[in-house]
Amino acid sequence: MPEYSYIGKRMPRIDSLAKVTGAAKYTADLKFPRMLVGKVLRSPLPHARILNIDASRALRLPGVKAVVTGKDTYGEKWGVFRYTQDQMFLPLDKVRYFGEEVAAVAATDEDTALEALELIKVDYEELPAVFDPMEAIAPGAPLIHDDFPQNINIHVHIEVGDVEGGFAKSYLVREDTFTAAEESYFQGEPYAVVARFDLDGNLEIWMPNAGPHMKAKPLSNALRIPLHKVHVRKIAIGGAFGGRSEISPADFICALLARKTGRPVKIVYTREENTVCTRQGHSMIATIKTGVDKTGRVLARDVTCYMDGGAYSSTGPIATSVPFLCMEQAYKMDSVRYNGYRIYTNKPIRGMIRVHGRAFACGVDTQLDMIAEELGMDPVEIRLVNAREAGEYTPTRSYVASCAMKETILKAAEKARWKEKWGKLPKWRGIGIGCNSVQTGFPMGIRGGSQAIIKFNEDGGATVISGVVDNGQGNDNMLVQIAAEELGLRPEDIQLVTADTEVTPLDPGAYSQVSTFIGGQAVRLAAQDARKKLFQIAARALEAHPDDLVARDRMIFVKGVPHKGLPIQKVIRMGLSQGISVAGEGSYWPKVDPKREWVQNPYGQMCEAFSFGTTIAEVEVDPETGKVKVLEVVAAQDVGFALNPLVLEGQFQGAVAMGGQGGMLTEYHFWDGGRVMNPTQLEYKVPLAIDMPKIHTIIVESVDPKGPYGAKEAGMSIAMSAAQAYSAAICNAIGVYLKDYPLTPEKILKAIREKEEAGEKTHQ
Amino acid sequence: MSKRIVKFRVNGEEVELAVEPHWTLLEALREELDLTGTKEGCSEGVCGSCTVLVDGAPVRACLTLALEVEGREILTVEGLGGPDGLDPLQRAFIERGAVQCGFCTSGMLMAAKGLLLENPNPSQEDIKRALAGNICRCTGYIKIIEAVEEAASLSPTPIHESR
Amino acid sequence: MRLPRFDYLEPHTLEEALEMRSEAGEKGEVLAGGTDLLVRMKQRLKKPSFLITLKHLRELEGVKMEEGELAIGAKTSLRDVIRSPWVQRYANGLAEALSSVGAYTIQHVRGTIGGNLCQDTRCLYYNQSAFWRSGRAPCHKAGGKICYAREGSDRCRSTNQSDGATALLALDARVTLRSLRGERTIPVSDLFTMKGEAPLDIRSDEILTTIRIPIASQSAASAYERISYRSAIDFPVACAAVLIEAEDKTIRRARIAVGAMGNAPLLMIQAAELLQGKPLEDEGVRKRAARIAMDHASAFAVNNVGATVEWRVSMVEVLVRRALRRACEAARGIGEGP
Repeated sequence: MPEYSYIGKRMPRIDSLAKVTGAAKYTADLKFPRMLVGKVLRSPLPHARILNIDASRALRLPGVKAVVTGKDTYGEKWGVFRYTQDQMFLPLDKVRYFGEEVAAVAATDEDTALEALELIKVDYEELPAVFDPMEAIAPGAPLIHDDFPQNINIHVHIEVGDVEGGFAKSYLVREDTFTAAEESYFQGEPYAVVARFDLDGNLEIWMPNAGPHMKAKPLSNALRIPLHKVHVRKIAIGGAFGGRSEISPADFICALLARKTGRPVKIVYTREENTVCTRQGHSMIATIKTGVDKTGRVLARDVTCYMDGGAYSSTGPIATSVPFLCMEQAYKMDSVRYNGYRIYTNKPIRGMIRVHGRAFACGVDTQLDMIAEELGMDPVEIRLVNAREAGEYTPTRSYVASCAMKETILKAAEKARWKEKWGKLPKWRGIGIGCNSVQTGFPMGIRGGSQAIIKFNEDGGATVISGVVDNGQGNDNMLVQIAAEELGLRPEDIQLVTADTEVTPLDPGAYSQVSTFIGGQAVRLAAQDARKKLFQIAARALEAHPDDLVARDRMIFVKGVPHKGLPIQKVIRMGLSQGISVAGEGSYWPKVDPKREWVQNPYGQMCEAFSFGTTIAEVEVDPETGKVKVLEVVAAQDVGFALNPLVLEGQFQGAVAMGGQGGMLTEYHFWDGGRVMNPTQLEYKVPLAIDMPKIHTIIVESVDPKGPYGAKEAGMSIAMSAAQAYSAAICNAIGVYLKDYPLTPEKILKAIREKEEAGEKTHQ
Repeated sequence: MSKRIVKFRVNGEEVELAVEPHWTLLEALREELDLTGTKEGCSEGVCGSCTVLVDGAPVRACLTLALEVEGREILTVEGLGGPDGLDPLQRAFIERGAVQCGFCTSGMLMAAKGLLLENPNPSQEDIKRALAGNICRCTGYIKIIEAVEEAASLSPTPIHESR
Repeated sequence: MRLPRFDYLEPHTLEEALEMRSEAGEKGEVLAGGTDLLVRMKQRLKKPSFLITLKHLRELEGVKMEEGELAIGAKTSLRDVIRSPWVQRYANGLAEALSSVGAYTIQHVRGTIGGNLCQDTRCLYYNQSAFWRSGRAPCHKAGGKICYAREGSDRCRSTNQSDGATALLALDARVTLRSLRGERTIPVSDLFTMKGEAPLDIRSDEILTTIRIPIASQSAASAYERISYRSAIDFPVACAAVLIEAEDKTIRRARIAVGAMGNAPLLMIQAAELLQGKPLEDEGVRKRAARIAMDHASAFAVNNVGATVEWRVSMVEVLVRRALRRACEAARGIGEGP
């Protein structure tokens, strides 16, 4: 193991200082001269035809500078994929969910903008609406999109091996159905956009995003301006969690208003708008049939999922696939069938989310626990029997190069003292385990790779230019650590120019867990390229061979002779005096199967690396109230290699909070038709500091052959396995397998009481 | 509607603003004084991103009218620390990895500052209770609590372990 | 979210405040801590033309002992009420109730006991933004003729979720209201109209000035229990407050109040009478009383605060029972002497 200066070290993040001093600028903090306030008028009906929009009174209000409606657009439909183009950012024909954008105003101040909204008159013809996915696919249901019969947005069908044969050979077969309500991201920062055009028609735009390049292209298309004139700028971002990947109507609307008024425009969403009018997680019904042999090894599995996608496709094909993919990566299975249906309803739009498919993930693992019980095994044993191993292929034919799933299971079990506790805890206490795997990247065609450029200043500092975006997870710091390490400089010598589409090269974005693996790798390669060039120059001066040189702590020297070196600053200047301006270039494109497609051809190498996580939770249930006190959680993840353990711990802890503490205990949306009844943090219960348990984090390193230093994705496997572990622990505590998530006190108490009554009956 | 003059102190400086009655302290700080470190996360007092100290006590700036703080002493995140450097809380937040996306950070710092001003030696329970009204979506709170403990110069009770 | 516009009136004495209140009438609201009022204004549930701030009225603050009762200024902050040694000694249930309100950083410093007592009722179909409520007819509480929480209801079914109100009802508190016309002191139970649309009997020219809690006897004890999903921020979805007066290890008098069920906290008279004359140690009678309280509460609960009605109602039994146990134990501790 090489000795690194910065890689693998617990390093405080470089972006923390700006954040603790209040200096970091988020989109809503931006202020430009003559900036206007933008506000969006939204549909108060879940499904209606737009007959007429009359903005004349709004336009006459002093201070109102522009109003835009669908008539100000090119009338085109956008979609993440060509076959999911179903959304107009300002609809012309009809609205499909309560809260959909209908018009927008730009005014000199907020009060005027709000007043103007009230003066816009929209005539609607209300249409019958449907809010339940199973009702939406039933005959006679109102059709939400003309091109999608039965309101089926996406159908992913995967079939591998001999499923029926597998069941026939099974010693035990179970079929169970699991359900989960939808959940939401509740990023700290409500969505906001600032846009302005210059006189040359260049658009500068700021918004929280998980991939500026992924925003720029659709904006260029929608506004019909060349891509090089769309500059999505770097800005501090208050979280994404999967919900800020694609272009948002607000991005387009803000740009439209800026173009129309010739002034900068800022739109800031309320918390409610952030919940209702961006994205949410899918609710889901998952029917899982699993057949195992006597040892608990899964021989066949058949899963059918119905997901409520809301009014538009968003990343439909991806969202419909990911829950399945996480399972097929985590566990061995030779024969598997999957039918995933994403269904339109007149509800807010659903997208990808960090805990992807509670019903699916918790269902698979709960079923394993049920099977284990029938076979007389314990949950850890059955996980070990089925755990993915390195060198295998997933059913859809992705090669898994590195995998320490079993190690995460064993280490978590040891730390949690599983053997002491399983089956031996006092009444109302339970312990449970969850295992999952997350892909590091999605196939993204021409945008699947990242390129980085490094330039030097004559005083020895370097600037890294990369499209990698930081949503708060620490990507900026990761780039600095890598660049400093490879260049032999100190972190404070590295400047970043990142996530700015005017300047930075293509990058796939952060939402497919790929920033370290691909973006970090590109920076590493660029730094190595620059270093090679520096070594060429230094080698001559030091009368050595470039291969014998080392760069460390701002010096270049021959290996083993650190006192006879040259400062990097000097080498750069030497180069310049020779007419050589050193710069580094690196790019990384993962070798994935270019023919793999979510719906048409869901087979082939999906990405180059997978992370694996195991969480074990111990809980105590209050049998009188059904409330759960979480005592202790152990989270172990195979991250490939820990670039910064301090950052990783924070990721794991946050993942336990989101996936387990919130995701399994309290977070869900409930509805009044098309209206979400809990759009803010008062009634949507995200976890609080006062309820957090003790969390132990275990980093496992399988050292991936392709990842930079062996690193893969970190954090999401824990979010998912934490949900599963919490669920399993609660089921263990009360002796009932629950199948409808989240596990609120009501459901837990009901299960306890029903079990007691059933027990009384059997004793009579 | 005519504006009214309100005088108060912010981060040690005397301030005189002409405000409309319906402006909140949060809006006045962010828009009139360009102190954008205090954030609007929900506007209904729940998330805590707008927490500031008024006469040393934590308050929701989004639910306080600007006119209500006449004559008071306001401390925002920009007022933490001084020319000599960072407040121990700020330093601890950085060193302990308690900052991820950073949006809740100023509110957390101010709530913690309010706690330490009143109780320089809080227990872990005291800290959890003092921060109970500040929502963080990224960190899971563990490192934030550790940072406050460190700033209060207690040896942090290990509430997590790693490796 | 933006507040609507209003005129800000700034009295320096209670007299001035009462004059302004009288003049503004229905168009005015009193601004104490504002942590409830301002949210409702942002949601356009309340649109007062005038806000009368109490910020200069120090005379409305403070906890005093006056003639066998605790007299608490309505504008006393939650924090100061909780920390008052008198409140902790003689009205512990109130301290517990106010401690559980929201979170320290939200309401405890700016929020006031008067504000918490006079907290307007809540309903998830009502306490929403103006946009959320648009596109359909307004409900009873919003000036319309329909109830979205309970289909067909001809009246408002909004829920009182005030921790303080429930505790004060159990403590048999009285409140003093002043206006230019004079002063009236009424039992706190009379403050509630049982009408969700306008749940408090406070005239538009009145200001609540004082909350009075009788000091029942030396061996009295009170306790408060509440439940919600999280341990802070949330309103209670069920709560209970009890007062136990004991003598010779026997319950002489009990009061049980249940909140978060119906338009007002409920006084459980029958359940309380069951306890009269029973030993402090009698667990069985406490269980029976709790069950009676639960049965009565079930008639009032409506599914409008999140969490199922079934669960909330069953929690009434748990919370009453637990509060009774703690109050009885505390009364035993006091009654047993040195």
